[in-house]
Amino acid sequence: MDEEGKMATPPPVSLSAEHIVKHFGGVVALADGNLDVQSGEVLALLGANGSGKSTLSKVITGVLEPNGGELVLDGEVVNFTSPQAAQKRGIAAVYQELSLIPDMTVAENIWLGHEPLKWGVRIDGQAVRKRTQELLALFEGTVQESLRPEEPVSALPPDERQVVEILKVLSLNPRLIILDEATASLDSRQVRRLFELISSWKEAGKAIIFVSHRMEEIFRVADRAVILRNGKSKGAEVIAETTEQQLVNLMIGDVAAVPRQLAHDPVPPDAAVRLQLEEVYTDVLRGVSLSLKDGELLGLGGLQGQGQTNLLRAVFGDIPFFGTIAVSGELVRFSQPRQAMRHGVAYVPGDRGSEGLLLSRSILENFQLPSWRRYGFPLRMERAKQDANRVADTLSLVRSSLEASAQNLSGGNAQKVVIGKWLLRQPQLLLLNDPTKGVDVGTKREFYNLLAELRRAGTAILFYSSDDEELLGLCDRVLVLHDGKVSAELSGERLTRSDLVTASMGAAQDNDRVPDREVAA
Amino acid sequence: MRNRLQLKYLPLRFPSLFPLILLLVAVTVNAILQPNLLELRVMNGNLRSFLPLMLVAVGQTLVIIGAGIDLSIGAIVSLVTAVLVTNLLPDSPPLVIIGVVALACAAGMAAGALNGFGVAVLRLPPIVTTYATGFIFSGLALWILPRPGGSMPEQLARLYRRVTPLNIPLGIWIALILILLWALFRHTRYGSYLIATGGKPEAAYATAVPVNAVRFGSYVAAGLFAALGALVLTLGTGSGDPRIGVGITTTGGMTLDSIVAVVLGGTRLSGGQGGVAGSILGVIILGLIRNIISFADVPSWNQTLVDATIIIVALAAPGLIGWIRDRRRRALPPKEMVQEVAG
Repeated sequence: MDEEGKMATPPPVSLSAEHIVKHFGGVVALADGNLDVQSGEVLALLGANGSGKSTLSKVITGVLEPNGGELVLDGEVVNFTSPQAAQKRGIAAVYQELSLIPDMTVAENIWLGHEPLKWGVRIDGQAVRKRTQELLALFEGTVQESLRPEEPVSALPPDERQVVEILKVLSLNPRLIILDEATASLDSRQVRRLFELISSWKEAGKAIIFVSHRMEEIFRVADRAVILRNGKSKGAEVIAETTEQQLVNLMIGDVAAVPRQLAHDPVPPDAAVRLQLEEVYTDVLRGVSLSLKDGELLGLGGLQGQGQTNLLRAVFGDIPFFGTIAVSGELVRFSQPRQAMRHGVAYVPGDRGSEGLLLSRSILENFQLPSWRRYGFPLRMERAKQDANRVADTLSLVRSSLEASAQNLSGGNAQKVVIGKWLLRQPQLLLLNDPTKGVDVGTKREFYNLLAELRRAGTAILFYSSDDEELLGLCDRVLVLHDGKVSAELSGERLTRSDLVTASMGAAQDNDRVPDREVAA
Repeated sequence: MRNRLQLKYLPLRFPSLFPLILLLVAVTVNAILQPNLLELRVMNGNLRSFLPLMLVAVGQTLVIIGAGIDLSIGAIVSLVTAVLVTNLLPDSPPLVIIGVVALACAAGMAAGALNGFGVAVLRLPPIVTTYATGFIFSGLALWILPRPGGSMPEQLARLYRRVTPLNIPLGIWIALILILLWALFRHTRYGSYLIATGGKPEAAYATAVPVNAVRFGSYVAAGLFAALGALVLTLGTGSGDPRIGVGITTTGGMTLDSIVAVVLGGTRLSGGQGGVAGSILGVIILGLIRNIISFADVPSWNQTLVDATIIIVALAAPGLIGWIRDRRRRALPPKEMVQEVAG
């Protein structure tokens, strides 16, 4: 690893994953994952939300240990217990959640853990600088001049951090490189350069697994594609012999209409507009506009991390934004969630444990936390209990008593408490951030009924879900977000799984994407 | 285009810049109040009195850079002081002195190892762990040396008090050696590991950095530096006090002083950034401020008040600056928007 000069060409590699199974508790993330990749080949890994593609790539890099199946590397069964073990065998991955240390320099980050040494202990500063410059030269012309080895990473914009992350993996000189959504924060010139590099890696005998949600990129760079659906791999298509539509069909399976979960009356056309967004920007969102009427259930769809959570939190005043947001016709710019609450806005967060519940406190306390001030001084506990019981009954919350602590509740019941505490305040606008994640089917059903009731009472609901079926089954209208923009608005005839997945992948959208950097220059 | 000399990145590039400015101000004010400040004899005396805290602050710096904190470091000083003065006589032969000093260093490192075990192996929060172990070490110190007393070898103590190689105060020599050692350490793999561990432990772990070993090591090193601090402290006073490290004259003892020195020196309390040079400047600044207070005829109870105020201001300043910056940032439109308007 520490020898001088250029990196030696690594020996050829072949890897196959056979019938990989991985479950977390009772949830099966990967039921039957198969793929194989050889030197000189780019394999695309495709799938909708929750199809298991990142689980499969994490098994290959040793981040997760599989519960079943075999990994075969160079004809030999291997069992990686840590990312380091996989690294030693020449497998390395570029992840989207970056592994860089903000306060260290570009060079320190790239070589952390495998620095070239002098006299066995001292880091050879000259060699580090020289070899970092060689690596940075790979992206020359697509990054700013000021991206130098001694620059602290905290001073870099997101695209350059991603470049450094890629170079860090490259500095290990791996035989198999996994690129997990590595292009998400790169601009078009950097993506083009990365693809040139990928083809040079192919020629040098490296194998590449390319995970991306951009259909257009897959057609530009990949040789074959493995499609995952519900944790099972469905065929390995040769890219040159397939079409976008065929791949989308493989991702969604039988293109059958999703049954409507609930019958409900259409929103009356004269209903008041409860929420209006015009050109809203945050660090993730890039100009989102929408309007939501009283009694309407508007879905937010797309792959995870495309700005859905960001949008909900901007409305709730949790993160700063630019643009205009109007609630009930009044321009608002909440700087604290409490102001949003006063405007009748309630937010049900995605992470129950950290944002939604006081786990060690009682159900009653959790229910009444936002509402205590209504019960006077000293608190009228009897009324508080009555109200809490009434809401708990509407939600059919399974409970031994209101005094039981929240941490003993099941996922579904815990979520009911999170929603219930806002129902006590009778919100006019309800923001839901993936509320049914990890919730059992029965509770989901009850939750859908609750949503229907709220709609009848005129509550406007903005509903982000990572479960496509749920969106299609419940909503009249679904906005699909892709790269911080609304890539499609689906309603009526177009409210189908095929349209939703196509829009999620940004298919037929990326071609006319204007790269930010070029506009600026 | 980002400005390479932007205020925000200055501390990263030149970590000792702000403490240097503070030091200049403190020296100037002090020299006005005490005109003989810069005479060799006065300087030697001053720096020698700062020296114990300097060594302790170096240990504290290592722990804080690794995103920990050692609230027991003053108690380790007490413990080691007790070990030293109960085992040494005014006329101990050199071999005994070497043996006892080695024993004292081992005691300091063992104390540090206990902290490291709690934090890195048992994964207890550093503040709670070291606050609790501090009482263990203080208790041990009082058990070994129930009341102030004991003695140090006279010749060694005399040598320590008088020697100024090349007419430069001993304190400056030791400070330079410490800074040089840090510079060397910073450029080894372990220096990188320490900063990575403090900066973003999850990312460091994913990059094959032995995070737990690094944390453990930082506490052991802090114990060693506390022991060295205790050694020069007892050489200076000639006898020992079992409560010397935990505060008999000042508000918080050497623990709090060391933390204040580290913060004054520009090392971030949340870890991953900073250096030993800044902390050494921090110790000198803190010492000069106390000089100024006593020369300005502030009554002693006021001195404690001023001490505490400095501590709070020093601790709050980075947070306040960040808060002001965040408020300003909230008002700015995002980059994309500006570009699209421009395009």
